[in-house]
Amino acid sequence: MAAWLVRRLAASIAIVWAVVTLTFVIVHLAHGSPCGQSDGRPVAPETCAALIRRFGLDRPIGIQYVKYLGALLRGDLGESLALHRPVADALAEALPNTFTLTLTALVIDFALGLALGVYQAARERRFGDIALGNAALFVNSMPTFWLGLVLLLLLAQWLRLFPVGGLRDLVLCPRMDSLPCLADFAWHLTLPALTLGLVGAAGTARYQRAALLEVVRQDFVRTARAKGLPERRVLLVHALRNALLPLVTLFGLTFPFLLTGAVLVETVFAWPGMGRLAVTAILQRDYPVVTAAALIASVMVVLGNLLADVLYGVADPRIRVRAT
Amino acid sequence: MSVWNWLAVGGAAVLALVAVAEIRRRTGTGSSGRRFFRHPSAAPALFVLAFFVTVALAAPLVTPYRPYVQIDITRLANHAPSTQFPLGTDPFGRDVWSRLVYGARISLGIGALAMLVAVTTGVVVGGVAGYFRRWVDATLMRLVDVGLAMPRVFMLLMVVALWDHVPLTVLVLLIGLTGWFGTSRLVRAEVLSVREREFVAAARALGAEPARVILRHVLPNAAAPIIVSAALGIGNVMLLEAGLSFLGLGVPSPAPSWGNMIADGWPKMAVAWWASTFPGLAISLVVMALNAVGDALRDALDPRKETA
Amino acid sequence: MPTIRPTRRLTAAALAGLLLVAACARKGGCTGDYCGTLVIATGGEPDVLLPVVSDRAITRDVTDQLFLKLADLGLSGNTVGDEDFQPLLAERWEWDTPTTLVFHLDPRARWEDGRAVTAADVAFTYDIYTDSLVSSPFRSSLRHIAAVTTRDSLTVVFRFRQRYPEMFYDAVYHMRILPSHLLREVPRSQWRSAAFGRAPVGDGPYRFVAWRAGESLELSADSTFFLGRPHLRRLIWRFTPDQQVAVTQLIAGDADAVEVLVTPDNVQRACADARLACYPYKGSAYGYVGFNLAAPGDSTKPHPLFGDRELRRALFMTVDRGALLHNVFGDLAKVPPGPMSQLSWTWDPETRELPHDSARAARTLTRLGWTDSDGDGIRDRDAHPLAFRLLVPTTSAVRRQYARLLQEQFRTMGIDVQLDEVDFSVFNERARAGRFDALINAWNTDPTPSSGIPQSWTRAGFGRSNYGRYENPAFERLVDRAVASVSSRAEAKRTWRAAIEMLNQDAPGIFLFATENVAAVHKRVADVRMRPDSWSALVRTWRIPADRLTDRDRVER
Repeated sequence: MAAWLVRRLAASIAIVWAVVTLTFVIVHLAHGSPCGQSDGRPVAPETCAALIRRFGLDRPIGIQYVKYLGALLRGDLGESLALHRPVADALAEALPNTFTLTLTALVIDFALGLALGVYQAARERRFGDIALGNAALFVNSMPTFWLGLVLLLLLAQWLRLFPVGGLRDLVLCPRMDSLPCLADFAWHLTLPALTLGLVGAAGTARYQRAALLEVVRQDFVRTARAKGLPERRVLLVHALRNALLPLVTLFGLTFPFLLTGAVLVETVFAWPGMGRLAVTAILQRDYPVVTAAALIASVMVVLGNLLADVLYGVADPRIRVRAT
Repeated sequence: MSVWNWLAVGGAAVLALVAVAEIRRRTGTGSSGRRFFRHPSAAPALFVLAFFVTVALAAPLVTPYRPYVQIDITRLANHAPSTQFPLGTDPFGRDVWSRLVYGARISLGIGALAMLVAVTTGVVVGGVAGYFRRWVDATLMRLVDVGLAMPRVFMLLMVVALWDHVPLTVLVLLIGLTGWFGTSRLVRAEVLSVREREFVAAARALGAEPARVILRHVLPNAAAPIIVSAALGIGNVMLLEAGLSFLGLGVPSPAPSWGNMIADGWPKMAVAWWASTFPGLAISLVVMALNAVGDALRDALDPRKETA
Repeated sequence: MPTIRPTRRLTAAALAGLLLVAACARKGGCTGDYCGTLVIATGGEPDVLLPVVSDRAITRDVTDQLFLKLADLGLSGNTVGDEDFQPLLAERWEWDTPTTLVFHLDPRARWEDGRAVTAADVAFTYDIYTDSLVSSPFRSSLRHIAAVTTRDSLTVVFRFRQRYPEMFYDAVYHMRILPSHLLREVPRSQWRSAAFGRAPVGDGPYRFVAWRAGESLELSADSTFFLGRPHLRRLIWRFTPDQQVAVTQLIAGDADAVEVLVTPDNVQRACADARLACYPYKGSAYGYVGFNLAAPGDSTKPHPLFGDRELRRALFMTVDRGALLHNVFGDLAKVPPGPMSQLSWTWDPETRELPHDSARAARTLTRLGWTDSDGDGIRDRDAHPLAFRLLVPTTSAVRRQYARLLQEQFRTMGIDVQLDEVDFSVFNERARAGRFDALINAWNTDPTPSSGIPQSWTRAGFGRSNYGRYENPAFERLVDRAVASVSSRAEAKRTWRAAIEMLNQDAPGIFLFATENVAAVHKRVADVRMRPDSWSALVRTWRIPADRLTDRDRVER
């Protein structure tokens, strides 16, 4: 197990390195100039030259690359061209917001998805299954940002049940230091998390339903039924326990998927997270932030995969034997 | 919209119905065809796809205007749905129905083409990796790992935004080239399992060319998962295009795509909900149909289901 | 449907939480005349809180609360002479000679850290504003000032190169005085990234509190401000992805004010709301399609299309500016008779310009050899189609809308236009570098054209804000004469009009819109006054009467 883990870790690091390199190459092929950040009237050529020297953009690309990797290993992500501050600071501000959003969405995703999946499996091919199945499929087929826009319009703008965006009530709760303010934060979190969670839940439900039905057809379930156990117990205890196994893998894989979804949802809900930061940076050609965001995103994906594998190994003893 | 347009739309619907019925009649005799249509949503989904494909092909017949025509920007902008404009007009005084139909050409076209690129690349890479194994396999699969480690939206955004202008063809190519990683893994796994079977070993023993062996013997056996992933992939591509368009990086104006129609109509959502809502519904409906067909195909083509 | 249930439960929990907030806030809290909190929703975000290196409107709105000018425009907006100006940092001034202006600083003025504001700060500020390494956008506006020196710690002397009507305006309007003791050490080429720019220390009515990127920026009133304690205790800017969202937040009650509603549907939505009051004021912006007269990427060669004056004139006449304006703005803007905003005192609807005449435009194009010889709907000449790319910033909904309308108008004339829609910063970079065929730009103008016009439409602006490299020596002579015309305002106005008419005949651009602004502010705010050149300049005198305070105003934080 340990050797296997070490191998996997090494591979993960190699993947992250490759992503960083790829991003670096793409970004530098696009010929960035740090001088476009001035607003309205332009930056003087002298300042532009100074900026280029400062960011080392006049050196050969190989040297820039080595320097960048070196800085990265020291934990230095460079300085943002548009924000006029260290990239690490900007990321440190945005990451917690994204994590909160994504993790909440994950909870909604799995709680709702699981419940729906079990319900549908129990009602297989009856009206409830088909209606819910189609509804879930429809939600799963909506562009995430569009679902966000629709929820925003219906629940926030028309029904006024939720705030129309942002992280918190700036007047009453500039800091999250009291219970009411936490509630306020949760209130602001609901719509974006729901958007992200609903799309995922629809997928999870389909997956879960299929997994359950597969298990239900296996021998031990038949045995349980034959023993005369009530159907509910058969489904919830015997079948579900076994059907949860693939879900564990899904868990690790869903997180990065949600992270991707967060890119647009954060833009829709004015949620100051990493997705919005990355999109803005890409659009503004703020290369240091773009590269750093790619790094973080790939670390997330790789960690998610790793987590999925480890969880799977822990949950299913057969895998462990094979892996070592 | 004239009587002729309405008649043409009706004709398209009938044609789509006939097409679905015909498919059902032809395939219904086989066991996989039966399994496909046993899915409650398979036939309606097929109809939705057939309908949109038909109207898209017959666009000039079913629409009263060319998609970019701004009929009257001072008086007919944000016009509510009416008999003349069944889905209303957008903020630029363009007929939403006409744009929706021509947009189907572009959105479905992008979906299909990008998926074709993705599937082809995925099949070639997966086939080569699975057949040759050793270092070829190792190298290619590490490449796939890297590709999968980078969120697709992110990679696309980066390439599209960092260059000054990206033509539509390049966009399609890019979407395709960022979408083959999963397929290649699938194909590789299938090839690995198939190549050990007797008939492949026999073909190789007879001195057949590797490419020939892959094409003639291995691929047909791996076809099922490829087709399913392609059906699901088209939907994904359409959603991706919509997301890019929302950020202003998708299909360039004035060509209509469902994604940029949502984006164009959104700022006026409060006064003209139709311009943004109908293309949104269209995307959801078509992607849903593609997912349903994909699901049904998965069941239909899964050989294990034969015994179930 | 079970999907609904968790939603409701969450909502209920959240609502309960909010009630709790309200309950807690009611205990204690602020009472009296100095309690208000104003939340301003805005589509932009400052790049850096240093007025010298940024001329973003939002940066100006914020930094004007933090840094004082020597004196400011009065409500009349008169830029000539010094009679209508209001003292700010300078309590009084006098003219030693016609070109020597002496300011006496208010001895009560203090930086936030307690140090007095001195004449040395003013001299330092002038030095920074005119340093080529800092490259302030305001640098050329100070071109007539020869030197700024200190006489004693509270007396500062401005020397001008020549006498002209708006000398005083130039001396006080562009510079926000900065603290030399905190900024002297910052290297001149690194001003944009100075740490000070994210946590500024000022001398204005408000103090910097916090700036959360992508979210908000908060200022709090300086209760000891020497020109009178501001009534609004807190100013909070709320950053939204775009103007649309800002208006939505305003209507949802998440914000108290939006300074420009921009489009008719926004105005309709906001002004129909019983809690909001609408305040129209003159717009300071004009937008136009600018042609690049030089070849993209090589300013020494003329542009293959737009180097030709006749072609530009034909394109101008193609466009029905009135219809476009109606589609985008309804009644909320006017078609400008040249490069000017409605705020400008040179605004004159009688100014002569090219007509909208598509028949004449078509004839001109045909005469120039542009005909549709291959029947593809696009005119061509020597196998080259009549096509160009239009550069548009994605951040402006208005300009994106214009771009799509223009694209179609040009198409019906047989001209193929492709849109390059890019982020604002990329737009600026490409505009400055001349890497475009045509662009849709908008300028926020001063109340007087004396620096804006030379910057944007003469050789002085080459490589700077004259993106299209338009030049006409006769026009420039007229501009110089207009700026320096000392004798009378009427004569200056005549000269300006002649200059603009000359420019219009060259069609260096198609002048599309001059905005008319409407702000919406919550009705509990009283004494709302807006100076058209800077709506936020008088925020320190706005107030919320004690009987209209809400819990949001009272909460102690």
